[in-house]
Amino acid sequence: MSYMRVMLAVVTLVVSLGSYLALAQQPQQPPVPMSFFVTSVGLGRGANLGGLAGADAHCQALATKAGRGNVKWVAYLSTQGAGAVNARDRIGNGPWNNARGQMVAMNQDELHGDTINMARQGNRINKERGRDENGNLVKGVGDMPNEHDMLTGSNLEGRAYTDNMDHTCSNWTSGADGMGSAQLGHHDKIGNGSGSWNSAHASRGCSQPNLVSTGGAGLFYCFAPGN
Amino acid sequence: MKHTTSVLAALALSVTLGALAFAQAPAQGGGQRAGGPPQAPPPMSFFVTSTPKGDGANYGGLAGADAHCQMLATAAGRGAAKWVAYLSTQGADAVNARDRIGAGPWFNAQGRQVAANVAELHGDTLEQARLGNRIGKTTAIDEKGNPVRGVGDMPNQHDIVTGSTPDGRAFPAGEDRTCNNYTSNATGSVMLGHHDRLGGPNASWNAVHASKGCSQQNLVSTGGAGLLYCFAPGN
Repeated sequence: MSYMRVMLAVVTLVVSLGSYLALAQQPQQPPVPMSFFVTSVGLGRGANLGGLAGADAHCQALATKAGRGNVKWVAYLSTQGAGAVNARDRIGNGPWNNARGQMVAMNQDELHGDTINMARQGNRINKERGRDENGNLVKGVGDMPNEHDMLTGSNLEGRAYTDNMDHTCSNWTSGADGMGSAQLGHHDKIGNGSGSWNSAHASRGCSQPNLVSTGGAGLFYCFAPGN
Repeated sequence: MKHTTSVLAALALSVTLGALAFAQAPAQGGGQRAGGPPQAPPPMSFFVTSTPKGDGANYGGLAGADAHCQMLATAAGRGAAKWVAYLSTQGADAVNARDRIGAGPWFNAQGRQVAANVAELHGDTLEQARLGNRIGKTTAIDEKGNPVRGVGDMPNQHDIVTGSTPDGRAFPAGEDRTCNNYTSNATGSVMLGHHDRLGGPNASWNAVHASKGCSQQNLVSTGGAGLLYCFAPGN
């Protein structure tokens, strides 16, 4: 009887220890799947991302390295001219969450401020939530160097420009010095008299030094449309 | 010769120190300034109160709230200008907060601009609303230039009493959104903004959610301390 009790106690201990250890050793799961990040690094060739396809591949590669490659990732970028693409049409319907499971926008209306009330309230992208694929903060105003300029090539509503000016560094194929330009947002929503996350100002040119001197590093936003 | 050397060294030192002072100067308007001599910051015309009155949303009405702004500004050496609280009232002779604060631009204690004008502050056009104003944790600082506690700080005090709609106007009479025009420390509710634009159902600076009640305890448990935005209309 006493032997049985001891055995029972040992078995209980082993089982509970086992399940506790197994639980503790599991990687910490975020509360919701990640579907938004700022690239931790650019491609290093200025705004020449190898077109939309090259930019999407960069998002996918970074996500994969961070253990988030099981979903499809796309870059938040527009293109101009024939077959123009709107960034907002690439990213699904939301809600989108960062690497820490914090929501950055509930839906398209909120992300882009489609009504005046939504626009006044704003989305939830900022320095705190506009994190990279590893969950780290991205340098902004007050950091050295400031890298808050995000390549978007998009207007405030997330669409392609329809004028004849270059807003996409030749649809993300140009890294030319002092020529062309890309429209930029600020992940920290600070600077240049604008609080816009996606359309604050244009770059000085398309080369890496041009992007750096404007206040960026050629970073961009990535979204998982299906997550 | 030795004298010349030490004079030169002193000169070099003071130039270096001068450059350091410039490096430490707050950024103007949030943008990058390329070179140029340091300029005196524009006069302060915006702050978040460092302390509340302490009686919940009972400020003794608009006049009492204005006096609180003026008192804190004076204590910080900024009492030369007239200060008003960013608050709306409801009912007969309703007051819109946006009509109390002048035309802007408004600058914080570090000389950084938080908004160029009333339309930018409130996002009067769809484009302005999308662009947003520049109020955030780093710019919405108190009258002494110190940050105000927000999400991630202990305790979080980011709820700022406004009693206003997103466009800075009074709520219609009926449902209490002003704690009885800032005279109640008990029943009722007041509309709140977030100076850090974080952690709420939206990122509004002036109208995120209502308080649980009007007492100091209710304001604290909602995520605030009963702090106010103060503006200098004539500055």
